[in-house]
Amino acid sequence: MQDLKEQIIQQLNLQEVKPEDIGDDQPLFKEGLGLDSIDALELIVLLQQHHNIRIAKPEDGPNIFYSVRTMAEYITAEKAKQA
Amino acid sequence: MQAFIQGTGCVSAQDSQVFPGEIRHYDGDRLPVADPDYKQWIDIKQIRRMGRAIKMGVAASHMSLEAAGIKSPDAIIMGTAYGCLADTGVFLQKLVSQHEDMLTPTAFIQSTHNTVAGQIALLLGCHAYNNTFVHRAFSLENALQDSLLMLAEDPSRKILAGATDEITEYSHTILRRFGLYKNASTAALQRSGTPGTMAGEGAAFFVLASGKDDKSLAQLTAVDMLYRPASEQETADRLLDFLRRNGLEPKDISLLLSGRNGDVTSDRYYGTVESRLFESTPVAAFKHFCGEYPTASAFAVWMAAGCLHRGAVPQEAMVKGDAPAAPARILVWNHHQGTHHSFILLEKC
Repeated sequence: MQDLKEQIIQQLNLQEVKPEDIGDDQPLFKEGLGLDSIDALELIVLLQQHHNIRIAKPEDGPNIFYSVRTMAEYITAEKAKQA
Repeated sequence: MQAFIQGTGCVSAQDSQVFPGEIRHYDGDRLPVADPDYKQWIDIKQIRRMGRAIKMGVAASHMSLEAAGIKSPDAIIMGTAYGCLADTGVFLQKLVSQHEDMLTPTAFIQSTHNTVAGQIALLLGCHAYNNTFVHRAFSLENALQDSLLMLAEDPSRKILAGATDEITEYSHTILRRFGLYKNASTAALQRSGTPGTMAGEGAAFFVLASGKDDKSLAQLTAVDMLYRPASEQETADRLLDFLRRNGLEPKDISLLLSGRNGDVTSDRYYGTVESRLFESTPVAAFKHFCGEYPTASAFAVWMAAGCLHRGAVPQEAMVKGDAPAAPARILVWNHHQGTHHSFILLEKC
Protein backbone atom coordinates (compact mmCIF):
# COMPACT_ATOMS: atom_id res chain seq x y z
CA MET A 1 0.00 0.00 0.00
CA GLN A 2 2.99 2.30 0.59
CA ASP A 3 3.93 1.98 -3.11
CA LEU A 4 0.34 2.66 -4.16
CA LYS A 5 0.21 5.79 -2.00
CA GLU A 6 3.42 7.04 -3.62
CA GLN A 7 1.96 6.35 -7.07
CA ILE A 8 -1.20 8.29 -6.19
CA ILE A 9 0.81 11.24 -4.88
CA GLN A 10 2.95 11.29 -8.02
CA GLN A 11 0.07 10.82 -10.48
CA LEU A 12 -2.10 13.49 -8.87
CA ASN A 13 0.82 15.82 -8.03
CA LEU A 14 -0.38 16.04 -4.43
CA GLN A 15 2.03 18.70 -3.27
CA GLU A 16 2.94 18.65 0.42
CA VAL A 17 1.17 15.28 0.94
CA LYS A 18 3.34 12.39 2.17
CA PRO A 19 2.38 8.70 1.96
CA GLU A 20 1.97 8.56 5.77
CA ASP A 21 -0.57 11.40 5.54
CA ILE A 22 -2.98 9.13 3.64
CA GLY A 23 -4.80 6.64 5.86
CA ASP A 24 -5.32 3.14 4.48
CA ASP A 25 -9.08 3.39 4.96
CA GLN A 26 -9.44 7.16 4.52
CA PRO A 27 -11.93 8.04 1.76
CA LEU A 28 -10.07 9.35 -1.29
CA PHE A 29 -12.88 11.58 -2.53
CA LYS A 30 -14.87 14.42 -1.03
CA GLU A 31 -14.41 14.63 2.72
CA GLY A 32 -11.30 12.45 2.79
CA LEU A 33 -8.37 13.37 0.58
CA GLY A 34 -10.69 15.73 -1.32
CA LEU A 35 -10.16 14.28 -4.78
CA ASP A 36 -12.56 15.11 -7.61
CA SER A 37 -13.78 13.71 -10.94
CA ILE A 38 -10.60 14.69 -12.82
CA ASP A 39 -8.60 12.78 -10.22
CA ALA A 40 -10.84 9.76 -10.83
CA LEU A 41 -9.71 9.77 -14.46
CA GLU A 42 -6.10 10.10 -13.35
CA LEU A 43 -6.54 7.07 -11.03
CA ILE A 44 -7.98 5.01 -13.91
CA VAL A 45 -4.89 5.88 -15.95
CA LEU A 46 -2.69 5.00 -12.95
CA LEU A 47 -4.19 1.50 -12.83
CA GLN A 48 -3.56 1.04 -16.54
CA GLN A 49 -0.04 2.45 -16.57
CA HIS A 50 1.36 0.97 -13.38
CA HIS A 51 -0.64 -2.24 -13.04
CA ASN A 52 -1.93 -3.02 -16.53
CA ILE A 53 -5.49 -3.15 -15.23
CA ARG A 54 -8.48 -1.77 -17.12
CA ILE A 55 -11.71 -1.36 -15.20
CA ALA A 56 -14.29 -3.48 -17.01
CA LYS A 57 -17.36 -2.09 -15.24
CA PRO A 58 -17.32 1.70 -14.75
CA GLU A 59 -20.09 1.35 -12.15
CA ASP A 60 -17.56 -0.41 -9.89
CA GLY A 61 -15.43 2.77 -9.80
CA PRO A 62 -16.83 4.26 -6.56
CA ASN A 63 -16.14 1.01 -4.67
CA ILE A 64 -12.68 0.47 -6.19
CA PHE A 65 -11.54 4.02 -5.55
CA TYR A 66 -13.13 4.42 -2.13
CA SER A 67 -9.78 4.20 -0.29
CA VAL A 68 -6.19 3.09 -0.76
CA ARG A 69 -7.11 -0.27 0.80
CA THR A 70 -10.00 -0.89 -1.63
CA MET A 71 -7.74 0.05 -4.55
CA ALA A 72 -4.99 -2.27 -3.30
CA GLU A 73 -7.48 -5.15 -2.83
CA TYR A 74 -8.80 -4.62 -6.36
CA ILE A 75 -5.28 -4.58 -7.82
CA THR A 76 -4.38 -7.77 -5.92
CA ALA A 77 -7.54 -9.53 -7.10
CA GLU A 78 -7.09 -8.46 -10.73
CA LYS A 79 -3.42 -9.51 -10.77
CA ALA A 80 -4.40 -12.91 -9.37
CA LYS A 81 -6.87 -13.30 -12.27
CA GLN A 82 -4.16 -12.34 -14.77
CA ALA A 83 -1.63 -14.80 -13.31
CA MET B 1 -12.03 56.25 -24.78
CA GLN B 2 -9.44 56.28 -22.04
CA ALA B 3 -9.36 54.18 -18.89
CA PHE B 4 -8.06 54.65 -15.40
CA ILE B 5 -5.84 51.98 -13.89
CA GLN B 6 -7.37 51.28 -10.49
CA GLY B 7 -5.07 48.48 -9.36
CA THR B 8 -2.10 46.56 -10.68
CA GLY B 9 -0.49 43.22 -10.00
CA CYS B 10 2.72 41.84 -11.41
CA VAL B 11 4.69 38.63 -11.17
CA SER B 12 8.06 39.04 -12.84
CA ALA B 13 11.78 38.65 -12.34
CA GLN B 14 11.46 41.59 -9.96
CA ASP B 15 9.80 41.47 -6.55
CA SER B 16 6.78 43.65 -7.24
CA GLN B 17 6.47 44.55 -3.55
CA VAL B 18 9.83 46.33 -3.47
CA PHE B 19 10.52 47.25 -7.13
CA PRO B 20 12.00 49.72 -8.06
CA GLY B 21 13.39 50.35 -4.57
CA GLU B 22 15.27 47.08 -4.88
CA ILE B 23 16.18 45.79 -8.30
CA ARG B 24 17.17 42.17 -8.87
CA HIS B 25 20.02 41.54 -11.27
CA TYR B 26 20.55 38.34 -13.20
CA ASP B 27 23.40 36.73 -15.13
CA GLY B 28 22.87 34.16 -17.86
CA ASP B 29 20.46 34.00 -20.77
CA ARG B 30 17.13 34.28 -18.96
CA LEU B 31 15.32 36.09 -16.16
CA PRO B 32 13.12 33.65 -14.23
CA VAL B 33 10.18 35.02 -12.26
CA ALA B 34 10.58 35.67 -8.55
CA ASP B 35 7.73 33.38 -7.54
CA PRO B 36 5.54 34.73 -4.75
CA ASP B 37 3.92 32.31 -2.32
CA TYR B 38 1.02 31.29 -4.56
CA LYS B 39 -0.77 29.59 -1.66
CA GLN B 40 -1.88 33.00 -0.40
CA TRP B 41 -4.26 33.19 -3.39
CA ILE B 42 -4.79 29.61 -4.51
CA ASP B 43 -5.97 26.58 -2.54
CA ILE B 44 -3.25 23.94 -2.38
CA LYS B 45 -5.57 21.35 -3.93
CA GLN B 46 -5.93 23.58 -6.98
CA ILE B 47 -2.28 24.64 -7.20
CA ARG B 48 -1.22 21.07 -7.95
CA ARG B 49 -2.96 21.19 -11.32
CA MET B 50 -1.71 24.61 -12.34
CA GLY B 51 1.26 25.29 -14.54
CA ARG B 52 3.39 28.35 -13.93
CA ALA B 53 1.63 30.50 -16.52
CA ILE B 54 -1.64 29.92 -14.69
CA LYS B 55 -0.19 30.53 -11.25
CA MET B 56 1.49 33.75 -12.38
CA GLY B 57 -1.70 34.97 -14.02
CA VAL B 58 -3.91 34.10 -11.08
CA ALA B 59 -1.51 35.74 -8.62
CA ALA B 60 -1.14 38.95 -10.66
CA SER B 61 -4.89 39.19 -11.20
CA HIS B 62 -5.60 38.76 -7.49
CA MET B 63 -3.01 41.40 -6.61
CA SER B 64 -4.63 43.89 -8.97
CA LEU B 65 -8.15 43.15 -7.74
CA GLU B 66 -7.04 43.51 -4.13
CA ALA B 67 -5.33 46.82 -4.92
CA ALA B 68 -8.48 48.08 -6.64
CA GLY B 69 -10.71 46.82 -3.84
CA ILE B 70 -12.81 44.72 -6.22
CA LYS B 71 -13.97 41.18 -5.59
CA SER B 72 -15.26 40.29 -9.03
CA PRO B 73 -14.76 42.27 -12.27
CA ASP B 74 -17.31 42.86 -15.04
CA ALA B 75 -14.98 41.30 -17.60
CA ILE B 76 -11.76 39.30 -17.67
CA ILE B 77 -9.70 40.05 -20.78
CA MET B 78 -6.19 38.80 -21.18
CA GLY B 79 -3.48 38.18 -23.70
CA THR B 80 -0.93 35.43 -24.04
CA ALA B 81 1.35 34.45 -26.88
CA TYR B 82 2.42 31.01 -25.72
CA GLY B 83 -0.47 30.09 -23.43
CA CYS B 84 0.13 27.27 -20.99
CA LEU B 85 3.24 26.07 -22.71
CA ALA B 86 4.49 23.71 -20.00
CA ASP B 87 1.28 21.69 -19.92
CA THR B 88 1.13 21.68 -23.71
CA GLY B 89 4.62 20.16 -23.64
CA VAL B 90 3.64 17.54 -21.06
CA PHE B 91 0.55 16.56 -23.03
CA LEU B 92 2.37 16.33 -26.38
CA GLN B 93 5.27 14.41 -24.85
CA LYS B 94 2.87 11.83 -23.38
CA LEU B 95 1.00 11.68 -26.67
CA VAL B 96 4.22 10.52 -28.33
CA SER B 97 5.77 8.41 -25.57
CA GLN B 98 2.52 6.58 -24.76
CA HIS B 99 1.53 6.09 -28.39
CA GLU B 100 -1.62 8.19 -28.01
CA ASP B 101 -2.91 5.88 -25.30
CA MET B 102 -3.66 6.38 -21.58
CA LEU B 103 -3.37 10.14 -21.75
CA THR B 104 -4.11 11.91 -18.51
CA PRO B 105 -6.73 14.65 -18.58
CA THR B 106 -5.03 17.26 -16.41
CA ALA B 107 -2.27 18.33 -18.81
CA PHE B 108 -4.78 18.50 -21.68
CA ILE B 109 -7.27 20.56 -19.70
CA GLN B 110 -4.55 22.93 -18.52
CA SER B 111 -2.84 23.31 -21.89
CA THR B 112 -5.26 25.60 -23.68
CA HIS B 113 -4.47 29.30 -24.01
CA ASN B 114 -7.67 30.44 -22.32
CA THR B 115 -7.08 28.28 -19.24
CA VAL B 116 -5.55 31.21 -17.35
CA ALA B 117 -8.54 33.53 -17.77
CA GLY B 118 -10.80 30.52 -17.12
CA GLN B 119 -9.04 29.68 -13.86
CA ILE B 120 -9.19 33.31 -12.73
CA ALA B 121 -12.94 33.27 -13.37
CA LEU B 122 -13.43 29.92 -11.64
CA LEU B 123 -11.57 31.04 -8.53
CA LEU B 124 -13.58 34.27 -8.41
CA GLY B 125 -16.88 32.61 -9.34
CA CYS B 126 -17.06 35.24 -12.07
CA HIS B 127 -19.47 34.52 -14.93
CA ALA B 128 -18.79 37.77 -16.78
CA TYR B 129 -17.32 38.24 -20.26
CA ASN B 130 -14.12 36.21 -20.50
CA ASN B 131 -11.82 36.54 -23.48
CA THR B 132 -8.23 35.62 -24.27
CA PHE B 133 -6.32 37.19 -27.14
CA VAL B 134 -3.59 35.09 -28.68
CA HIS B 135 -1.87 37.43 -31.11
CA ARG B 136 1.79 36.81 -30.38
CA ALA B 137 3.35 40.14 -29.35
CA PHE B 138 0.06 42.00 -29.85
CA SER B 139 -1.79 39.85 -27.31
CA LEU B 140 -1.74 42.35 -24.43
CA GLU B 141 -2.41 45.25 -26.77
CA ASN B 142 -5.54 43.57 -28.16
CA ALA B 143 -6.71 42.80 -24.63
CA LEU B 144 -6.29 46.49 -23.72
CA GLN B 145 -8.10 47.63 -26.86
CA ASP B 146 -10.98 45.26 -26.16
CA SER B 147 -11.10 46.64 -22.62
CA LEU B 148 -11.24 50.23 -23.90
CA LEU B 149 -14.05 49.29 -26.30
CA MET B 150 -16.00 47.62 -23.50
CA LEU B 151 -15.60 50.68 -21.31
CA ALA B 152 -16.79 52.89 -24.16
CA GLU B 153 -19.85 50.65 -24.46
CA ASP B 154 -20.61 50.68 -20.75
CA PRO B 155 -18.60 53.12 -18.58
CA SER B 156 -19.84 51.53 -15.37
CA ARG B 157 -17.78 48.39 -15.96
CA LYS B 158 -14.65 47.46 -14.06
CA ILE B 159 -12.44 45.31 -16.23
CA LEU B 160 -9.61 42.98 -15.31
CA ALA B 161 -7.08 43.01 -18.15
CA GLY B 162 -3.58 41.63 -18.41
CA ALA B 163 -1.18 39.16 -19.91
CA THR B 164 0.97 36.19 -19.01
CA ASP B 165 3.69 34.13 -20.66
CA GLU B 166 6.11 31.55 -19.37
CA ILE B 167 9.48 30.09 -20.33
CA THR B 168 9.82 26.32 -20.37
CA GLU B 169 12.98 24.28 -20.82
CA TYR B 170 11.77 23.16 -24.25
CA SER B 171 10.78 26.61 -25.48
CA HIS B 172 13.97 28.16 -24.21
CA THR B 173 16.14 25.51 -25.83
CA ILE B 174 14.35 25.90 -29.17
CA LEU B 175 14.38 29.71 -29.15
CA ARG B 176 18.03 29.74 -28.11
CA ARG B 177 18.83 27.61 -31.16
CA PHE B 178 17.40 30.44 -33.28
CA GLY B 179 20.09 32.71 -31.82
CA LEU B 180 17.62 34.90 -29.93
CA TYR B 181 19.41 34.73 -26.57
CA LYS B 182 22.90 35.33 -25.26
CA ASN B 183 24.65 35.03 -21.94
CA ALA B 184 24.76 38.48 -20.40
CA SER B 185 24.22 40.40 -17.21
CA THR B 186 21.05 42.46 -16.73
CA ALA B 187 23.17 45.23 -15.20
CA ALA B 188 25.00 45.67 -18.52
CA LEU B 189 22.40 44.31 -20.98
CA GLN B 190 21.46 47.68 -22.44
CA ARG B 191 25.11 48.45 -23.25
CA SER B 192 26.07 44.98 -24.49
CA GLY B 193 26.16 45.97 -28.18
CA THR B 194 25.94 42.41 -29.52
CA PRO B 195 23.15 40.36 -31.09
CA GLY B 196 20.78 38.44 -28.82
CA THR B 197 18.99 39.25 -25.59
CA MET B 198 17.93 37.59 -22.33
CA ALA B 199 14.67 35.64 -22.18
CA GLY B 200 11.95 36.61 -19.76
CA GLU B 201 8.53 35.64 -18.49
CA GLY B 202 5.86 37.02 -16.25
CA ALA B 203 2.33 38.24 -15.78
CA ALA B 204 0.83 41.66 -15.17
CA PHE B 205 -2.82 42.55 -14.65
CA PHE B 206 -4.71 45.80 -14.35
CA VAL B 207 -8.15 46.77 -13.15
CA LEU B 208 -9.50 49.34 -15.59
CA ALA B 209 -12.41 51.71 -15.07
CA SER B 210 -13.75 54.70 -16.97
CA GLY B 211 -13.93 57.02 -13.97
CA LYS B 212 -11.18 58.46 -11.83
CA ASP B 213 -11.27 58.01 -8.07
CA ASP B 214 -8.86 57.93 -5.14
CA LYS B 215 -7.58 54.50 -6.20
CA SER B 216 -6.63 55.60 -9.71
CA LEU B 217 -2.92 55.15 -10.36
CA ALA B 218 -2.64 56.38 -13.95
CA GLN B 219 -4.65 56.91 -17.08
CA LEU B 220 -4.41 54.50 -19.99
CA THR B 221 -5.01 56.91 -22.85
CA ALA B 222 -4.51 55.00 -26.09
CA VAL B 223 -3.12 51.85 -27.68
CA ASP B 224 -1.96 51.30 -31.24
CA MET B 225 -0.16 48.55 -33.14
CA LEU B 226 1.95 48.41 -36.26
CA TYR B 227 2.79 45.11 -37.93
CA ARG B 228 5.92 44.65 -40.01
CA PRO B 229 6.70 48.28 -40.87
CA ALA B 230 8.64 48.55 -44.09
CA SER B 231 11.12 51.01 -42.65
CA GLU B 232 12.00 53.07 -39.60
CA GLN B 233 10.38 56.02 -41.39
CA GLU B 234 7.04 54.18 -41.51
CA THR B 235 7.35 53.49 -37.79
CA ALA B 236 8.19 57.15 -37.09
CA ASP B 237 5.25 58.33 -39.22
CA ARG B 238 2.84 55.99 -37.45
CA LEU B 239 4.15 57.00 -34.04
CA LEU B 240 3.74 60.69 -34.89
CA ASP B 241 0.25 60.02 -36.22
CA PHE B 242 -0.59 58.13 -33.00
CA LEU B 243 0.52 61.08 -30.89
CA ARG B 244 -1.33 63.63 -33.04
CA ARG B 245 -4.55 61.58 -32.92
CA ASN B 246 -4.27 62.06 -29.17
CA GLY B 247 -3.60 65.79 -29.50
CA LEU B 248 0.09 65.49 -28.70
CA GLU B 249 3.50 66.16 -30.19
CA PRO B 250 6.71 64.29 -29.32
CA LYS B 251 7.79 67.18 -27.04
CA ASP B 252 4.73 66.48 -24.84
CA ILE B 253 6.07 63.05 -23.86
CA SER B 254 7.86 63.13 -20.49
CA LEU B 255 9.45 59.73 -20.95
CA LEU B 256 9.75 57.24 -23.77
CA LEU B 257 9.77 53.75 -22.24
CA SER B 258 11.22 51.69 -25.03
CA GLY B 259 11.46 47.95 -25.48
CA ARG B 260 15.24 47.97 -25.97
CA ASN B 261 16.48 44.51 -25.10
CA GLY B 262 20.22 44.72 -25.59
CA ASP B 263 20.09 43.09 -29.02
CA VAL B 264 22.09 45.43 -31.20
CA THR B 265 20.13 44.36 -34.28
CA SER B 266 16.65 45.14 -33.00
CA ASP B 267 17.65 48.10 -30.82
CA ARG B 268 18.72 49.99 -33.95
CA TYR B 269 15.01 50.54 -34.66
CA TYR B 270 14.60 52.47 -31.45
CA GLY B 271 17.74 54.53 -31.95
CA THR B 272 16.82 55.64 -35.46
CA VAL B 273 13.24 56.64 -34.64
CA GLU B 274 14.24 58.25 -31.33
CA SER B 275 16.77 60.46 -33.13
CA ARG B 276 14.04 61.60 -35.56
CA LEU B 277 11.20 62.19 -33.09
CA PHE B 278 12.50 62.18 -29.54
CA GLU B 279 15.89 63.85 -29.66
CA SER B 280 15.29 65.81 -26.46
CA THR B 281 13.02 63.27 -24.72
CA PRO B 282 14.43 61.11 -21.90
CA VAL B 283 14.42 57.43 -22.87
CA ALA B 284 14.15 54.50 -20.47
CA ALA B 285 14.06 50.75 -21.00
CA PHE B 286 12.44 47.90 -19.10
CA LYS B 287 13.60 44.59 -20.55
CA HIS B 288 16.72 44.44 -18.36
CA PHE B 289 14.20 44.13 -15.50
CA CYS B 290 11.88 41.49 -16.97
CA GLY B 291 13.57 39.91 -20.01
CA GLU B 292 12.26 39.55 -23.54
CA TYR B 293 8.96 37.77 -24.16
CA PRO B 294 5.97 38.49 -26.40
CA THR B 295 3.83 40.08 -23.69
CA ALA B 296 6.66 42.00 -21.99
CA SER B 297 4.75 45.22 -22.74
CA ALA B 298 2.47 44.23 -19.82
CA PHE B 299 5.47 44.67 -17.50
CA ALA B 300 6.12 48.04 -19.18
CA VAL B 301 2.54 49.20 -18.54
CA TRP B 302 2.82 48.05 -14.92
CA MET B 303 6.14 49.88 -14.52
CA ALA B 304 4.87 53.03 -16.27
CA ALA B 305 1.72 53.16 -14.12
CA GLY B 306 3.93 52.90 -11.03
CA CYS B 307 6.24 55.67 -12.26
CA LEU B 308 3.31 57.99 -12.98
CA HIS B 309 1.69 57.26 -9.63
CA ARG B 310 4.89 57.68 -7.61
CA GLY B 311 6.05 60.62 -9.72
CA ALA B 312 9.48 59.08 -10.14
CA VAL B 313 11.39 56.95 -12.63
CA PRO B 314 14.21 54.67 -11.46
CA GLN B 315 17.58 55.92 -12.71
CA GLU B 316 18.54 52.28 -13.46
CA ALA B 317 15.89 52.33 -16.21
CA MET B 318 17.38 55.28 -18.09
CA VAL B 319 19.23 54.77 -21.36
CA LYS B 320 19.21 58.43 -22.47
CA GLY B 321 18.93 61.58 -20.39
CA ASP B 322 18.10 61.90 -16.73
CA ALA B 323 15.09 60.33 -15.05
CA PRO B 324 12.32 62.93 -15.26
CA ALA B 325 10.87 64.19 -12.00
CA ALA B 326 7.10 63.76 -11.79
CA PRO B 327 6.52 62.54 -15.37
CA ALA B 328 3.14 63.54 -16.81
CA ARG B 329 3.05 61.29 -19.88
CA ILE B 330 4.84 58.03 -20.61
CA LEU B 331 4.83 56.50 -24.05
CA VAL B 332 5.55 52.76 -24.08
CA TRP B 333 6.96 51.76 -27.45
CA ASN B 334 7.79 48.11 -27.70
CA HIS B 335 8.66 45.92 -30.62
CA HIS B 336 9.10 42.18 -30.67
CA GLN B 337 11.62 40.85 -33.16
CA GLY B 338 11.09 43.85 -35.40
CA THR B 339 7.66 42.71 -36.54
CA HIS B 340 5.22 43.65 -33.77
CA HIS B 341 5.42 47.34 -32.81
CA SER B 342 3.04 48.64 -30.18
CA PHE B 343 2.46 52.09 -28.74
CA ILE B 344 0.75 52.52 -25.38
CA LEU B 345 0.19 56.00 -23.98
CA LEU B 346 -0.22 56.49 -20.25
CA GLU B 347 -0.78 59.73 -18.38
CA LYS B 348 -0.69 60.99 -14.83
CA CYS B 349 -4.11 61.35 -13.27
